[in-house]
Amino acid sequence: MAVRQPTEIDLERVDALIAQEEAALEPKHAASIAYRATAQRTVAGGVASSWQDSPPHAIYADHGQGSRLWDIDGNEYVDFHLGYGAMVMGHAHPKIVEAVQKQAARGTHFAQPTKDLHAVGENLVDRFKLPLWRFCNSGTEATLEAARLMRANTGRDIIIKIEGTYHGHHDALMFSVAPDPDLIGPREHPVTLPQAEGIPDAFAKLVRVVPFNDLEEVRRALAEHEGNVAGMIVEPAMMNCGVIFPEPGYLQGIKDLMHAAGAYLAYDEVKTGTTLAYGGAAEVFGVTPDILCLAKAIGGGLPCGAIGATQELYQPVVDGVYDMAGTYNGNPLTMAASRVALTEVMTPDVYDHLNGIHKVLQDGCTAAIERTGLPAYVTGVGAKGSVIYSETPVREYRDSVGIDERITYLAWLVQQNRGVFKSPWSKQETWTTAITHSEEDARKYVANFEELATMLTQ
Amino acid sequence: MSAAEHASIDMELVDRLTKEETAALDAKHARSLSYRSEAARHLPGGVSSSWQMWPPHPIYVSRGAGSHVWDIDDNDYIDYHNGYGVMVMGHAHPKIVEAVQRRVALGTHFAQPTEDALIVASNLAERTGLPYWRFGNSGTEATLDVCRIMRAATGRQLLLKIEGSYHGHHDALMVSVFPTREDAGPRDHPNPVPQTAGMIPGAAESVVNVPFNDADAAERAFAEHPGLIAGMIVEPVMTNCGVVLPDPGYLERLKGICAANGAMFAYDEVKTGFTVAWGGAIEAFGVRPDLIAYAKALGAGLPCGAIGGTEEAMSLVISGELDQVGTFNGNPLTMAAAKVNLTEVLTRDAYGRLDEVNAILDGCNDVIERYRLPASMKLQGAKGSIDWHTEPIHEYRDLWDIDDRVPQLAWLWQLNRGVFKSPGSKWESWTTSIVMSDQDAQRYVDNFESLAAAITA
Repeated sequence: MAVRQPTEIDLERVDALIAQEEAALEPKHAASIAYRATAQRTVAGGVASSWQDSPPHAIYADHGQGSRLWDIDGNEYVDFHLGYGAMVMGHAHPKIVEAVQKQAARGTHFAQPTKDLHAVGENLVDRFKLPLWRFCNSGTEATLEAARLMRANTGRDIIIKIEGTYHGHHDALMFSVAPDPDLIGPREHPVTLPQAEGIPDAFAKLVRVVPFNDLEEVRRALAEHEGNVAGMIVEPAMMNCGVIFPEPGYLQGIKDLMHAAGAYLAYDEVKTGTTLAYGGAAEVFGVTPDILCLAKAIGGGLPCGAIGATQELYQPVVDGVYDMAGTYNGNPLTMAASRVALTEVMTPDVYDHLNGIHKVLQDGCTAAIERTGLPAYVTGVGAKGSVIYSETPVREYRDSVGIDERITYLAWLVQQNRGVFKSPWSKQETWTTAITHSEEDARKYVANFEELATMLTQ
Repeated sequence: MSAAEHASIDMELVDRLTKEETAALDAKHARSLSYRSEAARHLPGGVSSSWQMWPPHPIYVSRGAGSHVWDIDDNDYIDYHNGYGVMVMGHAHPKIVEAVQRRVALGTHFAQPTEDALIVASNLAERTGLPYWRFGNSGTEATLDVCRIMRAATGRQLLLKIEGSYHGHHDALMVSVFPTREDAGPRDHPNPVPQTAGMIPGAAESVVNVPFNDADAAERAFAEHPGLIAGMIVEPVMTNCGVVLPDPGYLERLKGICAANGAMFAYDEVKTGFTVAWGGAIEAFGVRPDLIAYAKALGAGLPCGAIGGTEEAMSLVISGELDQVGTFNGNPLTMAAAKVNLTEVLTRDAYGRLDEVNAILDGCNDVIERYRLPASMKLQGAKGSIDWHTEPIHEYRDLWDIDDRVPQLAWLWQLNRGVFKSPGSKWESWTTSIVMSDQDAQRYVDNFESLAAAITA
């Protein structure tokens, strides 16, 4: 098949297609739109999280089964959203249903330790090669602990983070998450920009932002804050501008740099843990960090979080001089679901299936790109993948700022109108597949993408 | 009773009894003890939260039903711990079990809105008179959002809190939670003491602390930081030094002071919500804040949190200018449990049972009188405490005079006699549930009496 030269995308045409697709979507969601009007009388914005209020309108989910999701209008979708990547085991997996039903009848919460904790802990040790684990209730709580552990163990102030990554909703790391390109400053000294109002100004000075995939910039940051860097937190594969892989040597490089500086390396694997591979990004890229944060997919669809770390980092917690605490931490219902999800559902062999599905998506979308000359490429591994609408590889956040959001929004609408539910806010969030996805499910995604590629390049 | 009339407690006797009770407890927990050594290989301390490490050893729980829990050694307890005040509806309530079992088969998580969130929010609006709600996954997340909103809405950075109050695990408020006498500074200007190593440098300095039940102190704090305080967060019933009730008029004055200074007034009702009354502290004390944080009893034992507010307080969230977000926020399984919990289990009528239980627990007051104990009891809905202090605790600093050893013995004593109280007993007390029987309540009183007899012997 001939590979066409990249075609310029006509954005006026994109606008027209968006209008057309939005008009097609609206009548399908009459119940959602009407329900929202009622819901917003008591639920702020009509949704439980601002991310659920994605344009053109909030879509209320009704139920899910395997790879399928139904909204309250009765529309059926192949689910590539999967609750922002949490449901890699598929909806209502029979083993998880059974585990939750059984545990609910035995009590859901005691705030005392229960026996499932150890089984979950053992599985996480096996996957991520870190010896000690604690649990919490969200990715936000997990990365909060990571930031605190690094500072507590070093007595230092500064945390290095990557420009354009999101590490949860707390004050320590909510900087330069999706910073305004007009305000980000020079690449060698990015401005640390708060992602929300309401974060004290002084906290920004404690976060040094660097671009992804550049060891030299990490060296520079360490030199400029010599003796005061507590550690660095990184998504080992950067997930908020498509799936961006670390370049060879990058992760080992930052680990060595941190250790040489007496600092720690933390991975935020909230999105990549148990989705990219059995042992997450740490396995795929072969570098184990000092701290590893998990949430999303490890809880079988219940609110969850976990923090793994070395013996050294956890010693103050073991000794009881440093509290890592929460009423729901290790909640028995979550642990029961998590235990089955990790030990009986997301077993090592299912990752072959996920990679097989990924291959269908990658090959199919790549063929469509080559056929139409769409300026785009496909990345991903395991359950995570993305189409990146750029002719040149995106290696870091700044490479992605030129991508026009209208294109990715149109891509979302096209899939949505054709029975595929992708994660909304699609510039930042891509697809997640589940072990229950069939090749046919993947081909549906590809067929829709082919249609989009044709629309964009005609 | 004046101090002179109190029986004196012989602390050597307390130490000896504590030793005996600890030994008796160890013998009952052979499995917990051996399991811990295994669990500690992968879980720091063998537990999932540091609060579960309470001495003498963590107790691994196997199951719960109604007002009872069983540990993995199969010891049966009447549960006054209730998972740090979460399970006021009792364990494995049939309606909750049914709701969870039904929802799980329909899918537990979509990160899209579902219909149950509206029913939960409507019930919360009815209970509190606050119109707008959002959800999170813990009390920590709820108070974090409250702080963020107060700061974003006012453009100010300082937060006013009560010395000795705990508002979750995030950096904004983890200040002066349990400050020692040495660190706390003068009462009229308490030092902001970080509760843990590793907090964001400067976080503590963004907080001003004042004593509970002292509105003048709050007024002074505003005067000393004019135009700089975004808002005040307060537990309307202070719960980390027993159950400390607000003095009459205190909450109303705080609200007025905040309003006069252009600041917001927030309740942390993580512990008091759905426990002190159907409508929480708002119903019990008649003062409605601008913002409120809920968690614990809301989700019937599933991880949960909620923030509510007035239209003005929530306007930035409603308009989308301020993101209030989380992947699991409004999780369908949590919402399904919360819906049934709020609309069918913790109904207005159900709270009458808590009063009946309290009428029996009031027997502890008779014990205090008869044995002339240097102690007092407080009861408010499902929450109660015995302060081992000659005067009722009125603010955090009163707690410094309490010798930890007496409440620790009281905890062991109850545990060895079939009652599971919350550990950390100096500052955490008990939570009853709507499924407790008269016998369950009487057991507490009987154990308390035998303790009284033992320590005054």
